[in-house]
Amino acid sequence: MSEVASTVFVVDDDDAVCRALTRLIRSAGYCVESFGSAHEFLESYPHFQGCACLVLDVGLPDINGLELQNELNALNRSLPIIFITGRGDIAMTVRAMKAGATDFLAKPVRDSELLPAIANALRVSSQALSSRIELDCIHRRMARLTPREREVLALLVEGRLNKQVAYELGVAEKTIKVHRARVMEKMEAHSLVDLVRVIDKACIPLSPGQSA
Amino acid sequence: MFSRGRFRRTSFENEPHPCHVKSSVESPDGVWAAGRQSRNDERFGATLDLLPLAILVANPQGKILFANAAAEKLFGYSREELCGVVANELVPALQLNACAADSAYTDLALAGREWDSHRDLVARRRDGTEFPAEVTINPVSWENEACALTIVIDRTERYELLRNRQQLAHLTRVSTLGELAGSLAHELNQPLTAILSNAQAAQRFLATEPVNLVEVREILHDLVEDNHRASEVIRKIRALVKKGELEAAPLSIASVIRDVTLLVHSDAIVRGIRVRVAVTPDLPPVHGDKVQLQQVVLNLLLNAFDALESCPALNREVAIEVTPEGGDSIRVAVRDGGTGLAGHTLSKLFLPFFTSKRDGLGLGLSISRSIVEMHGGRIWAQNNEDRGATFYFTLPTGARAERSFPRGQP
Repeated sequence: MSEVASTVFVVDDDDAVCRALTRLIRSAGYCVESFGSAHEFLESYPHFQGCACLVLDVGLPDINGLELQNELNALNRSLPIIFITGRGDIAMTVRAMKAGATDFLAKPVRDSELLPAIANALRVSSQALSSRIELDCIHRRMARLTPREREVLALLVEGRLNKQVAYELGVAEKTIKVHRARVMEKMEAHSLVDLVRVIDKACIPLSPGQSA
Repeated sequence: MFSRGRFRRTSFENEPHPCHVKSSVESPDGVWAAGRQSRNDERFGATLDLLPLAILVANPQGKILFANAAAEKLFGYSREELCGVVANELVPALQLNACAADSAYTDLALAGREWDSHRDLVARRRDGTEFPAEVTINPVSWENEACALTIVIDRTERYELLRNRQQLAHLTRVSTLGELAGSLAHELNQPLTAILSNAQAAQRFLATEPVNLVEVREILHDLVEDNHRASEVIRKIRALVKKGELEAAPLSIASVIRDVTLLVHSDAIVRGIRVRVAVTPDLPPVHGDKVQLQQVVLNLLLNAFDALESCPALNREVAIEVTPEGGDSIRVAVRDGGTGLAGHTLSKLFLPFFTSKRDGLGLGLSISRSIVEMHGGRIWAQNNEDRGATFYFTLPTGARAERSFPRGQP
């Protein structure tokens, strides 16, 4: 995975803790950006592109860490969060984990806990990032299809034969062969199995059988 | 009640006074005058005998010439035993001879000014037991000599009361800190977190080649700072838990408030409360016991936090303001934006065992009041015009401050 470009964000209102955590994470070779408040982070983060994770103090004075997590979820930007807290209770931990936190660590946090947690979170982020790139790519290919080709595609991935597709769409089998070749070419698929896999991954809702 | 100035101006021949012991120094007829003086002394002594206070008359050498009935009872010696004894045997720290022989002493008496002869000392009974005593010395003429009339008041009860009050104050301090325990642990945990991360970062930087010495140097600097911060927290907790005698010292009220706000810092964050502190710069120092004044501020601050419990997040703010009040006082105001005080509670707030909290003891404010009043100040509460309430207290500054701090400390 491309760990070169990954960034670790640190948000902690305690200046001394923020500085120390930043140093520790930097000593492990990561690029670190630190913020003293949730607001500062929220101002900067939406412009960020790339692989990243967030080391977040739960007890922030401006926005509580769990609220910040909700705001990030609402932004629809999946950012793996490692919570650190001086006084976490079970309820808080459960809430954070349900909302998608990757880890919940107690202060003082040891490097042997924090650094693997960061590596893990970045792996999650990097996977999310590459699948998003792949998804964007599939969507771009889909956009190149004509409405008729989309119909053909929908029936093909359902496992229909050319003959059946032709019957359902009320056209000649020869025409379907031409459409099928176009679909394979535009979707950059080498086989029917390949095509099914791509469509499956993208979870694209197709409406088969809607013929003109 | 017995006024301590009554027997003072004995050397004024012409001043009419009840129970006056007349001096005959200027009389032409010495023998006659001596007889009259002795009769006067006798009459004066008889009057002193009627008083319920222990009274000793001692000559400039400190030797007791007269002791009244109350003194016999208080010290456990008979009158005969007391006469001729040096007063220091009864009150070791008493500096009678120096006082009585001092010419300034007579001058002051002549000028009719207040002679500050009011002291808290330790006195000793015949059986060797000691007790706190308030000792007042006044000049008097006795057997044609400038003598010292010493009034000794047993202050055991008042001292016990004061000590009980101190113990109670200590107990409420400890229980308040108990409530804050979680937050205090957090205050300690923060520097510990920083220390651990810094130290482990340093280990990692040292393990790489070339070693980044700039980074390591900064880390070491921060380690010292963080350590200092942790020990400050401990020092502050210790100071509040300490069970010590009252200490009177000049104090900056700003530093008292700073220490307390540090202790409640994370409690405020957990409760989502902002604490704003505004202190008028260059205020003169107050005079008093740091721990006790911290206790007052801590108590008012935590009360304000409680008052904000059911408030919307936006209104959760406590403001502490310190301003000069009149020429020789400062005023501390702790303002909350809570629900305010119900009208019928305003008059009872500072009474012991009055509480509006479910699990309150009702001692915090009454102890705060006794502390503030002991420092010569005043404490009161008021509802704000918009919402919430403000608790105020004043403390004297400058010369008034020193005078008003309690005596009665044995």
